[in-house]
Amino acid sequence: MADALASCARGNQDGLHRIVEAEGGRLMGIAQRMLQRRDLAEEAVQDALVQIWHKSGQFRAGEGSARGWIFAILRNRCLNILRDGKRLSTLDDAALLAMQDARHAAAVEGLDRLDAVALRHCLEGLDDTARRSILLAYVGGYSHGEIAALQKVPLGTCKSWIRRGLDALRRCLS
Amino acid sequence: MTRDMDAEADAFVLGLMDEADESRSMADLSSDPDWARAVGRARDRFLPIDLMADAAPVPADLVQRVTARLSEAPSVAANLPGPPRMRRLLPAAAAIVALACGIGIGSRMSDPDPVVVAVLLDDGGVPRAIVEDYGSEHARIRFVSDIAVPDGRQMQVWTLPSQDMGPISLGLLETDRAERLSPPDLPTPAGGQLYEITLEPEGGSPTGRPTGPILAKGLAAVQDGV
Repeated sequence: MADALASCARGNQDGLHRIVEAEGGRLMGIAQRMLQRRDLAEEAVQDALVQIWHKSGQFRAGEGSARGWIFAILRNRCLNILRDGKRLSTLDDAALLAMQDARHAAAVEGLDRLDAVALRHCLEGLDDTARRSILLAYVGGYSHGEIAALQKVPLGTCKSWIRRGLDALRRCLS
Repeated sequence: MTRDMDAEADAFVLGLMDEADESRSMADLSSDPDWARAVGRARDRFLPIDLMADAAPVPADLVQRVTARLSEAPSVAANLPGPPRMRRLLPAAAAIVALACGIGIGSRMSDPDPVVVAVLLDDGGVPRAIVEDYGSEHARIRFVSDIAVPDGRQMQVWTLPSQDMGPISLGLLETDRAERLSPPDLPTPAGGQLYEITLEPEGGSPTGRPTGPILAKGLAAVQDGV
């Protein structure tokens, strides 16, 4: 992946082809899991690939994996779509509700399919509330305020759950 | 108190920072190697959760759709794989830009001082433009690096006076040279207020809100006593 990014940075579109060939399905999968709509996921992946092309020269080995860097750009684009209220205002109430329900479910289910044994073990070792909150943020792209509302707790409580959960997760993984 | 960079990196990667911290943290990626490494570690900690997502079908023409759009964003600076030494100079460049701007204002005795100044950075932390907002329906924008605007598109400047008001257009730009803007009557600009430039269809955003990609953005600094 780092080689493909280096190609993009040199202005060689072959790099873009290689990224799509190797990770296109996964990029679409991540976007669809976070946005729950095919049209929005396609838009997010396209936008992300344009940004990946333009920013490819900024990727530096030693600052995390190339794949993590690429996925981060996509995640960022998905978050921007979710936070742009107007962007979602084209959906009617029923579609929006269905999207939110599916997004919630996708965020908190399926941890048993996590291949990384250490991360799975450490996430399973957290309090239920902290684990759910962290997954709602990472997988579903929910904000502190939205997570507090979903978990029916005050914002401050939710923030401290997440902060303590993330601290415990780092300790467990180190 | 020592800064817990790993905890901050987790919050950044999970998208849980507020907007001001997030913009600053994004800009710091290109100037602070320790921070960039902490973010890289955090991304890789959570990467397995991304790998858990089921692959979804890729549109057959995805690469064509992307390549057709490659000329639409500022690309020259972002595309140069320049040496890391140059990138570390970026915050210095931003500071020099801000300083030059301050000096420029001081030397024009007849003009009032702006209420706030915002240096707008692109995604890579490169300074692109400076907005000086004088309040009372008068603002000015100057560009500090070239921005390529494709045919049929136009740059539009926005500010976010409050979450309740949402983004308000300060005006459309004809060129990437200095321009006076005539925003509508808005509350006096405040420190930390967001300013941004987006790429919109010619004639401006059809919805009255930003719809296109953000070319550059930055937070206002109050100019009291500067």
